[in-house]
Amino acid sequence: MKEKTLRYEALVRALHGDIYRYAYWLTNDKSTAEDIVQETFLRAWRALDSLQDEKAAKSWLITILRRENARRFERKQFDLVDFDEVSVSGNEDQDSDAEVRQVRRAIGKLAPDYREPLMLQIIFGFSGDEIAAQLELNKNTVMTRLFRARAQLKEVLTSSSQQRGFQSG
Amino acid sequence: MDELEFRRRIYTNPADSDQDLVDAAAQNPDNEAFWQEMKQLDDKLKMAADIPVPDDLANKLILRQTLREFNQQKRRNRWYIGLAASVAFTFGIGLTAWQQQHVQLDEAALAHMYYAETEQPHGTAEITPQLVNAKLAQFGAELDPSIGHIASVNYCLLDAIRSLHLIIETPEGRMSVFLVPEHDKPMNNDFADRSYHGSSYALHKTNILVVGDKGTNIPAFKSELKQHLKFSA
Repeated sequence: MKEKTLRYEALVRALHGDIYRYAYWLTNDKSTAEDIVQETFLRAWRALDSLQDEKAAKSWLITILRRENARRFERKQFDLVDFDEVSVSGNEDQDSDAEVRQVRRAIGKLAPDYREPLMLQIIFGFSGDEIAAQLELNKNTVMTRLFRARAQLKEVLTSSSQQRGFQSG
Repeated sequence: MDELEFRRRIYTNPADSDQDLVDAAAQNPDNEAFWQEMKQLDDKLKMAADIPVPDDLANKLILRQTLREFNQQKRRNRWYIGLAASVAFTFGIGLTAWQQQHVQLDEAALAHMYYAETEQPHGTAEITPQLVNAKLAQFGAELDPSIGHIASVNYCLLDAIRSLHLIIETPEGRMSVFLVPEHDKPMNNDFADRSYHGSSYALHKTNILVVGDKGTNIPAFKSELKQHLKFSA
């Protein structure tokens, strides 16, 4: 039991930050992200004995997290609250500068199918193959989505910075 | 590598540092400029993706788990205590039931033999055939005195049943006869232990057990007794 606790603590300390960030980008909402991270680590604890390879811990946790998020959507179907509307308002953070906030908004507006592989690459540094394995997609699909995600972001951010330029000029 | 392919690869991963990408950038300033632009975009993305994590999240996760584990442990302990209690309870019930279980009559008779060995004769009144038959009358029985000298006649409890114990001096030795007024008690026809052996038969709702020292001729005495002990009812 003691050994399991130590293992669990190490796992939490090493990965909770990136898992939380990824959860945030899955849900676009801080408190929801925290909730599913709690659920994820709870499930991780229960199944900790099945985790043989410490290197696999990251993708193992991501798999649990994604499942938790999917469950949340199943539950959401019965709620009348429109999740996307709620999340946008909860998204604003005051302690970041305007440009970071703008990029965050742009990422938040990406279609989830594009945002997910991009965040696996940006947050976890996953390769195309690793993303494909994680999301159970073929590699070409992953590459196309990464390509489109960046192309869209570039377009949105360039046009909005041009707009800002017009407004200030 | 044409410009379209270069851009596609850079969009997919600006951190890709394959030699053919490096070469394509070196050959074409537009490629190089695009790559730099995308690297800058990626830096911004990394910064933006780096959402501040709640300070106490790690501690919360660990604390919650510790508390949950502690509670489960407590619940598990309670469960064990419950199990232990019910095992003890069942054992108690079983023990009581076992203790209340009746021993067989022959075992009771054999056990009584050891007790009777140390028993002092009650009173000094001489045991007459009249006295013996007065007691036997309660069982509806009568004993022909010619069977031998009656050394003792006493009531005793065999498995909580009031029974009559006669000790008769015979040419075979001292023989014990038990009359037990219950006909449906479990009993072996022939029985023995380390010192005594015996045999039983039933007559008129009465069980009759004959017990003697090891080596005495029980069958002979039994047939003798059958001739001398008569039931009137």
